[in-house]
Amino acid sequence: MKSAWTWFLLAPPLALALAFFVVPVAYLFWVSLHAASPSELYGASLTLRHYTDVLGDPFYLAIVRRTVGIAAVILGLCLAIGYPVAYFVALLPVRRRMLAILLLLFPLMVSNVVRAYGWVALLERRGVVNTALRDLRLTDAPLELLYTPSAVVVALMTILLPYMVISIANALAALDRRYEEAAQALGASPARTFLHVTLPLSTPGIASGTLLVFLLTLSAYVTITLLGGPRSKLLVSLVYDNVTAFQWPRAAALAFVLLALALAFTALILALLRPGRVQGAGR
Amino acid sequence: MKEEVDDVRLVNAVKRFGTVVAVNDVSIDIARGSIFSLLGPSGCGKTTTLRLIAGFEQPDAGDVFIRGARVTSMPPYRRDFSMVFQSYALFPHLTVAENVAFGLRMRRVARGDRARSVDEALDLVKLRTLADRYPRQLSGGQQQRVALARAIVVKPAVLLLDEPLGALDKMLREEMQVELRGLQQRLGITAVFVTHDQEEALTLSDRVAVMHNGVIEQIGAPREIYDRPRNAFVASFLGASNFVEGDVVAADASSIVVDTPAGRVSVHGERPIGERARIAVRPERLRMQRGGAQGLPARVRDIVYRGPVTHFYMDSAAGPLLAYRQDARAGEWAIGDEVRCTWDADSAVVLDEGGE
Repeated sequence: MKSAWTWFLLAPPLALALAFFVVPVAYLFWVSLHAASPSELYGASLTLRHYTDVLGDPFYLAIVRRTVGIAAVILGLCLAIGYPVAYFVALLPVRRRMLAILLLLFPLMVSNVVRAYGWVALLERRGVVNTALRDLRLTDAPLELLYTPSAVVVALMTILLPYMVISIANALAALDRRYEEAAQALGASPARTFLHVTLPLSTPGIASGTLLVFLLTLSAYVTITLLGGPRSKLLVSLVYDNVTAFQWPRAAALAFVLLALALAFTALILALLRPGRVQGAGR
Repeated sequence: MKEEVDDVRLVNAVKRFGTVVAVNDVSIDIARGSIFSLLGPSGCGKTTTLRLIAGFEQPDAGDVFIRGARVTSMPPYRRDFSMVFQSYALFPHLTVAENVAFGLRMRRVARGDRARSVDEALDLVKLRTLADRYPRQLSGGQQQRVALARAIVVKPAVLLLDEPLGALDKMLREEMQVELRGLQQRLGITAVFVTHDQEEALTLSDRVAVMHNGVIEQIGAPREIYDRPRNAFVASFLGASNFVEGDVVAADASSIVVDTPAGRVSVHGERPIGERARIAVRPERLRMQRGGAQGLPARVRDIVYRGPVTHFYMDSAAGPLLAYRQDARAGEWAIGDEVRCTWDADSAVVLDEGGE
């Protein structure tokens, strides 16, 4: 009886997912295997050209590399800045912890577009930062801050940091302090307690934070377009460019390269951190 | 008399949490190779006392010594102890063998020696075959043994145990008590044991400290604590007791006569004539007689058959009385019978005031 009910409740969402996700993705893959057509969604002949182009062409490869590179830098910064903040937040008493998490979420309440234009106002040639530097006589000519990979990294990082902090803080807050005491009772200094006990036991939080940050970086568009400009394009930008140029099959192939990157990274993180081994043990 | 070395010493230790005094002027000396129990109800300060020895709490006043060294302000990881936690706190990301090896790794013991010690420790708790399992794959009793192996493998000056058997069922708990005692004696470890279970404390310990509201009410060997409780709290916390009260009407060198509402009784102890005295008698020391002029007259209110013993609940002018009888003639009594309750003078104790 129980399983009948389970299926009854699960059937509508499963049907929706099948109709509006699985089938379209499969269709998209089918599209990516065809030549382009000037008048149709895709041409008549089957081809692997789009994939060989993307993975063989230096132009595309450079963009794939830049995408992975930027995502890696953002991830590294989010981990390095996020973990200490999360550690601090996790130690707060419950009410203050909730308040801290609300504060962390605050930047996310501002629309992506608004936030990106805010960065433009700060970073452009006659923006706030350059004006201030000039008035302080620190620079002669305005610095090129906007339309650089650094601008993209800084802007994306500020949005994605809360995801990392909240993921890790939740894992740390759920951690039984007895584990740390047990380590100290066995002669572990605070540093070694952190290294051998706290850090490994927070891997579920690190894994979910890392995945969120990486996957959201891969799919970010507005920030990249407005702050990266034409010279700092990433894979998402190429998908958009190809769609507007009516190169549907190539756009589809690029979408699958992105998906493959996401899946490969997820597998890597799960294999490296093995969060399953401590999942549910933090009581 | 053999010379005794104290492995743990607490001197006038005080610990406050806000306005609550969790540990109030506690002093204890724990002899090398002995098991010392801190016994009391929850919230009595026994766990805080243990945590003062470990260094997880800092005393507001007083001192802590381990093996003669003053460790009062030393962080836990520098102190020579190990600990078994109530929840075991086995590291979930490490195997049984890695858990046991943890303390040796932190002490930078070479890999080969480490492996040998881990094997030995796992042999002691009979878990060698489970060395590669993770804690979540073990039963509660097995986890308990791993926690014990992890604590003894580092050969600490003192082993602290915080209600380590509390989570086990009764059968397993009694089995582990015997095993724990055997292990401790074989290894000659000094152990401090926190428990709220009086039977466990009596079974395991060389000495017991009964705690209540942050204060030690009495320290002594199990038999001493049980047979000669100092006050009403100790008498009632360790098993059942009959309490009767009255004025002291006669006293000689070693015993007094107390005039209770139900009659006069004599008891070993000292108290000046004219003062009030409260005395306690264990139910198993109470004798029941038919007729005669001795003892306190009472009437049987209820009889509860409990297998090996029968409990007799009685009413007297001095208050309710309880007797345990395990002789064949227990069945001769019936509810409503008139009884005379007597006891040997040295089976009763005169209690100090307080402790309530």
